[in-house]
Amino acid sequence: MPAPSTTEAARRNRNLCAIGGGVLLVAVLALLPGVASPYTLTMILPVFAYAIALLGLNLLFGTSGLLSFGHALFLAIGAYAAAVMTGHWGVKSLELVLLGGIAAAVVVAIPVGFLSVRYTRIFFGMLTLSFGMLFHSFLIKFYNVTGGDTGMSVKRVRLLGLDLSHLSRVEFQTGPLYYYALVLVIAATLLMWRIVQSPFGLHLRAQRDNARKAEYLGVRVHAFRLAAFVLSAAYGAVAGVLLAVRSGNADPELAYWTHSGELVFMTVLGGFASFVGPLVGAFAFIFLRDWLMGMTEFWRLAMGGILVLVVIFVPRGLAGLAADATTRLRNQFDLRSRR
Amino acid sequence: MKGQHTRGVLRRRDVIKGAGAVAAGVAVTGFPAIAQNTSLKIGILTPKGGIAATAGENGLRGCQWAVERLNKAGGIAGRKVELVVEEETNAQQTIERFNKLVLQDKVDMVQGVVSTGVALALGPVVEDSKKLTIMWDGTTQDGVTEKLPDARYCFKSTDNECEAVMASLLAIKHFKGKFKTIAGINPDYSYGRNNWAAFKAILKRYGIEYEVVAEQWPKVGNMEVTSFVAALKAAKPDLIFSSLLFADLPVFMQQAHAAELTKSSLMVFPAAGWQHTSLKKAFTPENMLFGHNTLYFGHPNPTPLQKEFVDWYVGTHKDYPHWEADRAYFAMESYKTAVEAAHKAKGGWPSQDDVIDTLKSGIKVQSLGGPGWFRKDNIAEQTFIQGLTTHKNAYDFCTLSTFDTMTSDVLQKPAGADFWKWIETAKFPV
Amino acid sequence: MAAFAEIVLGGLFHAAVLFLVAAGLQLVFGVQKIVNLACGAFYALGAYVGASAAKWAIGVGLPTPLVLVVVLLAGLACAVIGPPLERVLRTVYDRDESFQLLLTFAFLLMFQDLFRIGWGANPQTTGSLFLSFGTLDLGLFKTPAYNVFVIAVAITVAAGLGWFLQRTNFGRLLRATAENRAMAEAVGVNARAMFSVVFTLGVALGTVGGALVVPASAASLDMAAELVVEAFAVVVIGGLGSISGALAGAVIVGLVRAAAIVFYAEAELLAIYAIVIAVLILRPAGLFGKEAV
Repeated sequence: MPAPSTTEAARRNRNLCAIGGGVLLVAVLALLPGVASPYTLTMILPVFAYAIALLGLNLLFGTSGLLSFGHALFLAIGAYAAAVMTGHWGVKSLELVLLGGIAAAVVVAIPVGFLSVRYTRIFFGMLTLSFGMLFHSFLIKFYNVTGGDTGMSVKRVRLLGLDLSHLSRVEFQTGPLYYYALVLVIAATLLMWRIVQSPFGLHLRAQRDNARKAEYLGVRVHAFRLAAFVLSAAYGAVAGVLLAVRSGNADPELAYWTHSGELVFMTVLGGFASFVGPLVGAFAFIFLRDWLMGMTEFWRLAMGGILVLVVIFVPRGLAGLAADATTRLRNQFDLRSRR
Repeated sequence: MKGQHTRGVLRRRDVIKGAGAVAAGVAVTGFPAIAQNTSLKIGILTPKGGIAATAGENGLRGCQWAVERLNKAGGIAGRKVELVVEEETNAQQTIERFNKLVLQDKVDMVQGVVSTGVALALGPVVEDSKKLTIMWDGTTQDGVTEKLPDARYCFKSTDNECEAVMASLLAIKHFKGKFKTIAGINPDYSYGRNNWAAFKAILKRYGIEYEVVAEQWPKVGNMEVTSFVAALKAAKPDLIFSSLLFADLPVFMQQAHAAELTKSSLMVFPAAGWQHTSLKKAFTPENMLFGHNTLYFGHPNPTPLQKEFVDWYVGTHKDYPHWEADRAYFAMESYKTAVEAAHKAKGGWPSQDDVIDTLKSGIKVQSLGGPGWFRKDNIAEQTFIQGLTTHKNAYDFCTLSTFDTMTSDVLQKPAGADFWKWIETAKFPV
Repeated sequence: MAAFAEIVLGGLFHAAVLFLVAAGLQLVFGVQKIVNLACGAFYALGAYVGASAAKWAIGVGLPTPLVLVVVLLAGLACAVIGPPLERVLRTVYDRDESFQLLLTFAFLLMFQDLFRIGWGANPQTTGSLFLSFGTLDLGLFKTPAYNVFVIAVAITVAAGLGWFLQRTNFGRLLRATAENRAMAEAVGVNARAMFSVVFTLGVALGTVGGALVVPASAASLDMAAELVVEAFAVVVIGGLGSISGALAGAVIVGLVRAAAIVFYAEAELLAIYAIVIAVLILRPAGLFGKEAV
């Protein structure tokens, strides 16, 4: 019986490490409500929401090489779907609202994606930005349907059929909704991991690196890109539903192009080349902004400055930085053990 | 104040403490010393960036001036006030900032909020947090419908349509018989939409026949108004009703003047008071109906309070305040008055519920622009000033020649009433 | 007829403003292949500095034409921020274009606060400078002379840029670099210096545009982010990188918007994005663009 090759052993080792790290992280997050302040917990909820959105966005950006500057469109669709379903249709169950949000996003994403994925690079970015702004101006202009700039309110939902209306908003958000969102993040992460590792993910990477060559090899480039686009839209809608349920409203700012810019900012901050980068990015962005807003009224300047530094000096993001650090540590360790 | 202002610019958290000695009469009431010695922490939510920043800045100055004054006089029922300022941005983020004030900074109460969009989203959060909040200019109206009719903790500004109702009444008073065709150019959000609808409803109520020849909805803060002006001119309205109020207003007025629109049409501008110093004589016509609202600095007989504030404002900021400063002052003064009344009644530091009940009892406050109070449904009643513009003054901008003063108890729908039904039957002072 | 002409003129004025913002965007994209999200911020900077310059010039009692000269020179002077910003951008030239896009997005964020630090929250206007240019009698109707002046300047800038790119030596080198950077460098073009000059020129177009328009408008905190989107619409319709495309795109957007305001106000912004999407789908390179994708 031949011994497993060293690379395979290393890979298994790395996978074990990843699984261990993931389990540890989940454990920490699950225990957090016992120790962290209620305010910190209310801020983790948007981290979860954005983490899901960024996992989707990065399927386009990191895996497929398509930079969307209009992804906020799908968060807004999720949020407005939640508003319409809970406000107008009297739907109470969050599960149904999530499904409704995903359905709405998929319905919009299919034509938008069909038109957009024929292009790459800056044209793709501009087309998605235009679609996002088209929706934004619809929300602003059709006041009688959408409530204009004030948006629409989102009613309190039930989780798994449980009526939790006796809880205060903060109790609801730092307790049941927190765990609900945590489970969603775990599920979304595992699903995305499967997707990225599957032959589908491989095809996406192949077309990213060389679209023409991939086509020669039988990759249906446009179809695969469209599938990635629709998937990422569905992830965005889940995030939008969570954000709207948390704040109790859906407003047009969600669809504005600078919100899309923030999503890209988060992804790059975390590191788009890494699978966990988006999760790191969402966390870092939300708490960085919260900290800066408490520090200075000129937090936009500070955030802009940080973005400049990240783009120039840490292009692989925080996840890349961490990876470099571990490699360096490991190399040192190897050197020492060899001595 | 100058120094403090600079610090406020450098650091977000403006901690204001009076210069006078600490009022130390602690043991007198027999109340726990800790409640009396610690300062009152008041959270402020105010816009600092974007289109509403100018309103937020004005409000914050009014608020800081109020705090400085009351701290010098010994604070609120003996406790100094300390402000924790956070930025009002969009609805999502402002709720986060509110959570931070309540959960992390543990403030005693919250004031601020300019945008109705934000307030509408924040209102339920306030109720749920059970934290007394007095809004400067935010309402919880969806259109003209009150969405939080049973509010307990959330105290709100006057209804958005108040200015429009008053301007409509005055338009009838001054311009009746002089117009048949009307045109509206109103900012594309609920405030603008409601104002225009209210104007038309009141014309109808008084049996004034009109024909709408143009209805325009420029995006809030849109600076490109030439196309709107051209379209208005083509429509040839006898009267133009506009609730433009941001930086777009002086731009519009300047272009309208150059296109001679201001010569051919009567102008009714209920929210012009936001831009009063930018509306220069050179392009703002006389006899335009101008909503100066509460801080009419050219008032022939101002109250000493108003005079003191306006003089300070001009001296410090080289500008004249508008009504947001009055709203902010009113919020702080209402809280102070209610706490002190409840304190006196109880003979000790009042609970939040005591303060809320006192506010709800309609306790009257003298604000910068005139008297004001809260109704039982937590909606403010305030003083409004509107009138016709004149160039006869020492400034380079317009003031009012004749003006009317009304309190909102005749301008806004009573608690729980439907706005449109109320318009049809209400008793109006004109 | 007079009404129609006035509406068209209103649309053209808007088109002139858009062209001035978009021209800088086009020039930079044409040569450096960078989509500059900060172009709106440059325009806003010109507007703020122009408004301050106007206040100063009126304060010291300069005659109106000289005030205008001071305003425009102030706008031009703002271009000094070009080379340092280009220096920052240079660090990511060899990386994916998303990094360049993000860097300019960061500039935009930072400028919003810089304006607040410099000028506070209040919008900045030039008082009655706009009106001191009087009105122009065009037979059918009268119109503010300054609006016509802005349109004329925009046309002059368009023509000047065209001449510069087509007829001057530097313009030819510039186009050569845009076409094929390696080849241009091989024949001795200093691409580095070229990029710095082009970027600064792009900045100058924005800042001078802002200073030029501010007397007819105002400088405010949110104008930068708003303008970017409209400028984007213009360049997408006209074709990325093409100056004549920017001109055509600006005229289309300006006129469509004016028409929408008259006929169907709800469609004011929707119409523009609908055209953008239609163009991107039918002719992705834009009306005047050269290459697709």
